[in-house]
Amino acid sequence: MSNLLTYISVNDGKIKRSSLEVLSRCNEIAEKNGKTSSAIVISDDCSTIVENLKSYGPSVIYTIEDPIFKNHLNTPLLKALTLAMSEINPDVMAFASTEGSKDILGALAANRNAAALADVSEFDWTGDAVTAKRPVMASKIISSVETKGSPVILTVRSGSYDTVEKSGESKVQSIPFTFDKNELKLTLKEIISATGDKVDLSEAETVIAAGRGVKDEEGRKLIDELAAVLNAGIGASRALTESGDYDPSLQIGQTGKVVSPQLYIAVGISGAIQHVAGMANSKVIVAINKDPDAPIFEIADYGLVGDLYKILPPFIDELKKIKG
Amino acid sequence: MKFYVCIKQVPDVNAPLQIKEGELIQDANRNILNAYDASAVEEALVLKEAHGGEIEVVLIGPDKASETIRKALAMGADSGSHILTEGSEEFDSFSYAKILAEFFKDKEYQYIFCGKQSQDTDSGLTGSMLAEFLDLPYATNAVGLQLEGENLIVKRQGDTGQEMIELPAPSLVTCSNDMNDPRIPSLKGIMQSKRKPVNTIAVSDLKNGLTNGSIKTSVVGYEEKPKREPGKKYEGEPDEIAKEVAQLLDSAENVI
Ligand SMILES: Cc1cc2nc3c(=O)[nH]c(=O)nc-3n(C[C@H](O)[C@H](O)[C@H](O)COP(=O)(O)OP(=O)(O)OC[C@H]3O[C@@H](n4cnc5c(N)ncnc54)[C@H](O)[C@@H]3O)c2cc1C
Ligand SMILES: Nc1ncnc2c1ncn2[C@@H]1O[C@H](COP(=O)(O)O)[C@@H](O)[C@H]1O
Repeated sequence: MSNLLTYISVNDGKIKRSSLEVLSRCNEIAEKNGKTSSAIVISDDCSTIVENLKSYGPSVIYTIEDPIFKNHLNTPLLKALTLAMSEINPDVMAFASTEGSKDILGALAANRNAAALADVSEFDWTGDAVTAKRPVMASKIISSVETKGSPVILTVRSGSYDTVEKSGESKVQSIPFTFDKNELKLTLKEIISATGDKVDLSEAETVIAAGRGVKDEEGRKLIDELAAVLNAGIGASRALTESGDYDPSLQIGQTGKVVSPQLYIAVGISGAIQHVAGMANSKVIVAINKDPDAPIFEIADYGLVGDLYKILPPFIDELKKIKG
Repeated sequence: MKFYVCIKQVPDVNAPLQIKEGELIQDANRNILNAYDASAVEEALVLKEAHGGEIEVVLIGPDKASETIRKALAMGADSGSHILTEGSEEFDSFSYAKILAEFFKDKEYQYIFCGKQSQDTDSGLTGSMLAEFLDLPYATNAVGLQLEGENLIVKRQGDTGQEMIELPAPSLVTCSNDMNDPRIPSLKGIMQSKRKPVNTIAVSDLKNGLTNGSIKTSVVGYEEKPKREPGKKYEGEPDEIAKEVAQLLDSAENVI
């Protein structure tokens, strides 16, 4: 049977919204073309995830449960996905674009002799080729791409589709899986986790991004205050992840993360294309920069020209007032 | 210790470009060594300087791409293999990985380094595809590398933090540009690069790797990104412009 399968990404036991966006899109394609849309959860503990997934109505929720999936490791994940794909036989296997899925996308495609498309911003499938759009050249232009043959594996940028709940029974089916530590080939020595329980940057509704203009402790404090008022995720340009002032997981751009919030505030960021590549799809862009010719102003809806150290304090005060 | 580094010539994303009838027109004189591959070469050089060994770069591309091999040799790589294409083929990551896998089939090495993605297409597929074809353990998106004996300790950037992973040899790593600042070739390096050996192989000699159906994706057209409406610049007293914009974000945009 022709079908679509969505991999459900989980972070800290919670379903990542971006994978629900992908599932919602697959549901829509399935409905339109008379196909089925299913989902797969691969985790050390699937039960709550499965329950929460039911409101999105995939035909079947497949589960693969094993303690090995507590941390991200490519070898077991690849084994589980290879197994799932050979049992389920999907025509289209879709992921949210995360570092975790990017890590295995190519290897899975090579293993399944599948066409692979990374980081698409739109996709469709009628039963033949998958057609999709991908931002290229540091997101300066959009390429239209097409696949040959089946299956097709793709990852989708967060924010590309809305999440839509759907009624209907979901069958739950567990796929037996075993993993012997000897198969690991590599060893996870340590996890250096930095972001803890802060707002997930790639899914935040509001993002404050700090750039080289944020020079010191005082500047970083202003960023924290602004983020706190707006309940925003904090990101940074490469200048500040490279300097060690901000954790590398917070880098926004071509090398870092792609974000698409409702509101993006660039503070002391020049707007190099590699940075813009990661944030140009934000709904409203505000930039604070003392250089009136900074390229960031070409894409900002609201460009505040001036010293961030002078603009942020009254800006924060006013926002506090508005928020009551 | 033998390191291979897979390098690619890509168009400079900073160069002007045009789209004519769905085709992308770029200046062939503004092609560069993929920035992520430059970091992979740099990392191999640092490891070689500390632990000894030999670095060979491998590139699939047309005749003109030999300048990119020279660039890596000028940085300090020891030798190159140029898998020569006609220049008209439209390979995707899958087919590049197949050709590379065929090249590596009878080679001996400890480590293969790739870039984490091509700067022009941001696909990020070739490295882990190649690892799978060669049945090698691998790590992607490396931001730091260290050798401990023959094992590599890779610091990779994950979704919420970094992971330290130990890889035995042989294995494959894809490198982020966040791991280092690639050196600029010195004049001496450039002179020396001219005498370093580059082995040229016709891609047709590796066609075993490129069976029917190896090209699985194709670009059917390009379009400009929809332009954003030009916004407004606020210059003047910090207090006033800050207040004004804050209010507009609430009343006009409803985003706070
Ligand atoms: C292959 C590749 C990938 C890359 N990937 C990324 C990526 O993912 N993300 C990323 O961010 N970059 C990336 N870069 C780097 C990118 O090209 C830029 O170097 C980087 O984004 C610059 O960061 P910045 O804007 O903070 O610093 P700068 O360019 O130095 O800009 C600082 C800005 O702050 C302003 N400023 C200074 N002081 C003040 C003040 N007191 N008040 C107000 N404004 C002030 C200045 O006018 C200036 O415009 C990549 C580069 C390459 C080659
Ligand atoms: N033509 C090529 N020649 C050599 N290596 C390549 C080639 N294409 C891709 N690669 C390697 O794969 C990485 C990028 O993969 P991708 O983003 O899938 O194009 C590059 O950084 C190189 O290490």
